[in-house]
Amino acid sequence: MFIHSIRWRLLLWFGILLVVVLAGFGTTAYQLQRINRFHQIDQDLERRVGALSADARIGPPGRGPGGPGGPGHTSPDGETRRREPGHDEGHHGDWTTRPPDESDRPGLGPGGGSTRPWERPIRLSQSTKDLFDSTSGEVYYFAIWTRDGPLLKGSTNLPTGISMPSRPGRETTMRTRTRGDLREAFHYSEMGECILVGRSIASDLESLERTRLWLGAVGLGILVFSLGGAFALANQALRPVDRISAAATRISGGNLEERIEVNTHSELGQLAEVLNGTFARLEAAFRQQKQFTADASHELRTPLAVIIAEAQSTLARPRSESEYRETIETCLDAAQEMRRLTESLLQLARLDAAEETLVTIPLPLGELVRDCVDMIQPLAVAQGLDITAEISDVTVEADRLRLRQVIINILGNALHYNKPQGSIQVSLMVDEGKARLSVRDTGQGISAEDLPHIFERFYRGDKARSNQEGRSGLGLAISKAIITAHQGTIEATSELGVGTEIIVRLPAAPTSTQLR
Amino acid sequence: MRILIVEDELRLSRSLAKALREEDYAVDTADDGEDGLYKALNYDYDVIILDVMLPKLDGWQLLEKLRCTKPTPVLMLTARDTPRDRVHGLDAGADDYLVKPFDLSELLARLRALIRRASGQSHPHLQILDVAIDTRARTVSRAGQGVVLTAREYAILEYLALHRGEVISRTSLYEHLFDENDDTLSNLVDVHIFSIRKKLGQAIIATRRGQGYCVEALGTSTTH
Repeated sequence: MFIHSIRWRLLLWFGILLVVVLAGFGTTAYQLQRINRFHQIDQDLERRVGALSADARIGPPGRGPGGPGGPGHTSPDGETRRREPGHDEGHHGDWTTRPPDESDRPGLGPGGGSTRPWERPIRLSQSTKDLFDSTSGEVYYFAIWTRDGPLLKGSTNLPTGISMPSRPGRETTMRTRTRGDLREAFHYSEMGECILVGRSIASDLESLERTRLWLGAVGLGILVFSLGGAFALANQALRPVDRISAAATRISGGNLEERIEVNTHSELGQLAEVLNGTFARLEAAFRQQKQFTADASHELRTPLAVIIAEAQSTLARPRSESEYRETIETCLDAAQEMRRLTESLLQLARLDAAEETLVTIPLPLGELVRDCVDMIQPLAVAQGLDITAEISDVTVEADRLRLRQVIINILGNALHYNKPQGSIQVSLMVDEGKARLSVRDTGQGISAEDLPHIFERFYRGDKARSNQEGRSGLGLAISKAIITAHQGTIEATSELGVGTEIIVRLPAAPTSTQLR
Repeated sequence: MRILIVEDELRLSRSLAKALREEDYAVDTADDGEDGLYKALNYDYDVIILDVMLPKLDGWQLLEKLRCTKPTPVLMLTARDTPRDRVHGLDAGADDYLVKPFDLSELLARLRALIRRASGQSHPHLQILDVAIDTRARTVSRAGQGVVLTAREYAILEYLALHRGEVISRTSLYEHLFDENDDTLSNLVDVHIFSIRKKLGQAIIATRRGQGYCVEALGTSTTH
C-alpha cells in the first residue's frame, strides 16, 4: 500500500518537516519585516510627535525662538500672539493647522479668553513643518488635544472621527496605536496635552502583503523542488533495495545461482554483500543436500536394480532349485545392503535433526576401546594384521552404543584399508583435558585431494571400493555426526602409501573418583 | 550379438550377464572404466551397456574416448535420472539411456532396437528370400512354416541378415557371437552355417571364398 512504502513515507516525513521549516522561516521573515517596517513607521511618527511636542511646549508667549517666520502674520486660528509662526503654513501642501472647532470649546472666543492658559496658538517651527512636508513622500497628520479633550490644533488632513486616545494614569511615554490602516503615535505632555501624529499605512500593509505572497510563493517553490529532489534521491537510494528484492525473488523462485549485483559501498551494498554470502552458503548447503539425496538414491537404486534384474531374469523361464536358491541369495544380499543403507540414512537424518537422543552416562572409555579391539582382533588376525593397543583409563560423558559404533567403524576402516601384514595402533590418552583416541593403520593412505572430504556423505576417494562388503560410504559421516553430538572432534591425517591416522577427541568427564 | 557390460556393481553385472546370455547374446563384462575402454576399443561389440559411476574412468570419460574411434552403440545405465543427466548422456554420444532400477524386458527391447538401428534396419521382421526372421520373438519361418534353429544358428543368421549385403569374415562372425569366455574353435562357425543351409536352403547364405559369408542384399541375385 501507498503508506507502507518506505519511499512514500520518507517523502511524507520529509515534506512535513520541510513545510514546518519553511513555514517557520517564512513567518519569521515576514514578522521581522513587519516589525522593522512598523518600527520605522513608529520612529518617523515619534520623531514628529517629539518635534510637535517641543513646539507645543514652546507654545506659551515670551519664550523660546518663535521660529524664523516673519512676525505680524496672523495665524489662521486668529490668535494674535506676537510670536505667531507659520507664516507660510498654507504653503505646505495639505497640511495646515485647522482652527479649533468653536463648538468644541464653548466660551472660548477667538483671540480671547486667556482664562485658560493652555488654549494657546501653537506655532510650528520650520523644522517641524518640514517634517510634515508631504512632498517628501508620506503624508502625515497631527492633532493636539488639550487636557480636557478639545482639539487644540490639528492638521487639515486629519481623518474624520479621530478621537483623543485614552490616557492610562499619568503616562507620558510615547505610545502608538493602529486604527484600521492608520498608524498613530502619541504622547501626553506634562501639561496633559495629547500630541498625536499619524499616517496611513495602507501602502505599507500592501507592501507587507506582497512580501507575504512572495515568501509563500518562494516557499512553495522550494517545497516542490525539494520534494522532487527527495523523490529522486529516495528512488536512487532505494534502487538497490529493488534490486535486492528482485534478486531474492528470483532466488526464492529456485534460481540459487542468482546473486545481487553489488555496485555500491553504501549500507545497502554491504547488506547486499552479506545477503550474497548467505545465498552462497544456502546454495552450497542446498547443493550438498541435493548431492546427498542423489547419492542416496543412487546407492539405493543399484541394489534395487540387482533385485529386479535378477528376479525378472529368473522368472523368465523355469529354473532348477539351485538357480532359484542362487537368485534368492543374490536378492537377499542386495536387500540387506539396502537395509544397512536405509538404517544409516535414517540415523544420519536423526543426527541432523538432533532427534537422536544420546543416552549419556559416565563412560569408562578405556574399557569400551578395549572391548572393541578385542572384538576386532580375530578379524585382524585372519588378515594377518597386528593390533597394538595402548589404553589409559579415561571417563567421558557419552552414549555407549553410539560411541561403540564410531570406534568399530574406525577400527573396521583401519582393518579394511590396511595392507597385508600391516599393523593397527590404537592409543587412548588424556590430552589437554580431553580424551584422545587415535587409530593408526598402515594402509594405502588417503590422497591430500581426498582427505578433506572423507567425512562427507558418500564420498569415496577411490570409487573402486564402492559399496562392497557393506561399506556404504556413510560410516565416517555418521561417526563425525555422533562425535559432534558429543561435543567432540574427529580428524584424519594421512600419507599415501604409509597409512592413515584417525584422531577422536572427546571432552573428558570429571575423574571417576569424583563421580563415585 | 556380442555385448559389453561395464558395471562396477558385481552382482548387477553378473545378473545382467546371465540374463543376456540366456537371450543368446555373447556377453563380456568389465568392472571398471579402464578395463571397459580397453575391451570396447579392442573388440567390435554390437552394444555396450555402460554404467556412469565407475572407478578409474567414469562412464562419460569412457564414452568420450570411445567416440574418438568407434561408433559402437552405447546404452548408458545409471542411477542418475535428472533430465540434465539424460541430456548430458545423449549429447555425449550415448545412443540410449536407461535409469536404474530398470525393467529387464525394457533393457532387452532397447538392446534389440539399438542393434537393429546400428545395422540400418528399422523393422524387427527381416525377410530373406522365403525366410522370415522375427528378431523380437527370435523365431524363423520358411514359406510360412516355422523352422527350429539352435541359439547359435539363430544368432549367426540374425547377424548376417542384419548386415545383409556385407561380407562378414569368419573371425568377425566369431567375435560377434562368442564372448571372451568361449573357447570354441572358429571352424565351429562353418558347422553352424552348414546346419542353417540345411534347414533354410542353400541360397540363404552365400560363401565368399577367402572372405567370409554374406546374405545378399535385396534385389541382387544370389551367386555361388
